[in-house]
Amino acid sequence: MSVLPTSAPAEEPAHVWGKKLEPYLLVLPAMLILAFFFAGPAIYNIALAFQELSLFDLGREGRWVGFDNFAEVLTDPSTGQSLINTTVWLTVVTVVLRLVLGLGLALLLNATVFSRWKLGWLVRSLILVPWVTPPVVAVAAWKWLLDARYGVVNQFLVGIGAIEQGIPFLARTSTVWGAIETMLIWRELPFVVITILAALQSIPSELREAARIDGANEFQIQTRIVLPLLKPVLAVITLLTTIWTFNNFVYVWLATRGGPGDYTQVLATQMYTTSFVDYRMGAGAAVGVVMSLIMFAFALIYFFVIFREK
Amino acid sequence: MANQSINSHPVRDLVTVVLGVGLLLILAFPFIWVVLISFRPESEIFTRTFQLITTFTLDNYAMLLEGSPFPTYLRNSLVVCTVATIVAVVISMVTAYGFSRNRRFRGRQTLLIMVIATQLFPFVILITPLYATFFSLGMINNPLALVISYIAVNLPFCIYMLLGYLDTIPRDLDDAARIDGATTLQIIFRVILPVAWPGIVTVAVYAFVSAWDEFLFALTLMTSDENKTVPVGLAGFFGEYTTQWNLVMAASVVSTLPTLIIFMFLQRKLVSDLSAGAVKT
Repeated sequence: MSVLPTSAPAEEPAHVWGKKLEPYLLVLPAMLILAFFFAGPAIYNIALAFQELSLFDLGREGRWVGFDNFAEVLTDPSTGQSLINTTVWLTVVTVVLRLVLGLGLALLLNATVFSRWKLGWLVRSLILVPWVTPPVVAVAAWKWLLDARYGVVNQFLVGIGAIEQGIPFLARTSTVWGAIETMLIWRELPFVVITILAALQSIPSELREAARIDGANEFQIQTRIVLPLLKPVLAVITLLTTIWTFNNFVYVWLATRGGPGDYTQVLATQMYTTSFVDYRMGAGAAVGVVMSLIMFAFALIYFFVIFREK
Repeated sequence: MANQSINSHPVRDLVTVVLGVGLLLILAFPFIWVVLISFRPESEIFTRTFQLITTFTLDNYAMLLEGSPFPTYLRNSLVVCTVATIVAVVISMVTAYGFSRNRRFRGRQTLLIMVIATQLFPFVILITPLYATFFSLGMINNPLALVISYIAVNLPFCIYMLLGYLDTIPRDLDDAARIDGATTLQIIFRVILPVAWPGIVTVAVYAFVSAWDEFLFALTLMTSDENKTVPVGLAGFFGEYTTQWNLVMAASVVSTLPTLIIFMFLQRKLVSDLSAGAVKT
């Protein structure tokens, strides 16, 4: 920035100072809100993690206990279980399935026939249905669909003779993760499909034509030309959905409350349960710190990918 | 076009369309099924065999709106989400303008990176400290706590999205207004706002829908029944012990209506804006 001549400060008109200050004044309100809402609580959360504080003692100073909360959280065998549940069953499985299904569906829907037959509106309307459904409604709908007696899924399976009587999908350890993952993938798949479709439609058709003229078949075009061009979008979708899903609370909480037993407990539900069901705010905050450390590693990868691409 | 002659094989076209639309119908089915069930009498909801068409009734909706606390939830949600959306849009408009029109003030890059990084913040870990903070401020069960939370959570995306949009608006507009003696705030709200409305609509819809869908903050900060929002109230209908399925179905349809209506009218625009905005980072 240019430095104003120091020899003549008196001549510097007031509006120059106003001009220099203006950008700060404009962005200040938002920055204050973000600082109070994110930075403040995040620091307070770290402090809480070193205290023992009951929900009923809020407003009073907690008892400082050093690393006790962390020692407890990290040695508790159920934490290991929630960590595996969160990373593998909640996040990795659903992110991979969303990418595979999303890519497949997007490639299918990108076929020129949909625009030639003027079916774009139908495709958009149908794909939007799960996306406009609030997550709570998604869980309600699937709980009903998966009901052991009255649910359509069981009625269908019994009808075709695959099973003899209805399965209570959410109450059995063998099926409960599949059921939760189905709810989550159903609600969150459209975002992936729509984002990949947008990227596909930005690929110039001349590229495909040129490859076809050079004798490439449809499969070669998809794998050698289209897929490499989608790589940046796929990388970003992967990291965004990973972060969103890792922190997700609502699907597991509403589908099973972490049950049967602790079988589907994830870090987010464990944190909530510790703070608001067991009333142990300090231990709950410690779970939060562990989660944010893991997330921090994810965020680093995210920015690494973004900046390498730019 | 050459494209057409190479690509169109009637049989392959038909197979593609049938497959694509078929898959999409399967994808849409769970919600369509909820809508169908919501118009059934309670006695016919619990059938052991699959029935597509049954007696039509509005009883479930009548019970939902007259015999349950759902109207209160609905009012709470509408108030909280509308206020949070308006404030978030106004603040992010001013902020985005500040970033867009001042390209090189000290700290700009750092602040922008912070705004983007906040989008990746694990909100869920905020819930324990925020509860403690709002508790000591006496704001548990105060809708304002929820309004503040939704503003803060939505600000980063709104700022980022609007910044991209304002950058496309030529600065000649600002300069002309400034020569006429307009202040910066006047320029933002009288000159830029009318031109920027397509971007504002997208941002407002995003803020409203994500507040409308939000569950965890509402669950934790609003504990008394008269302050609950739609998602938490609806979740109460399928509690741990009993489930009033007829109410759940009708409430599910009503809870989805606002987003459904918004997206029906603006589908083409929103679909491209929101998907592009999310990945642009």
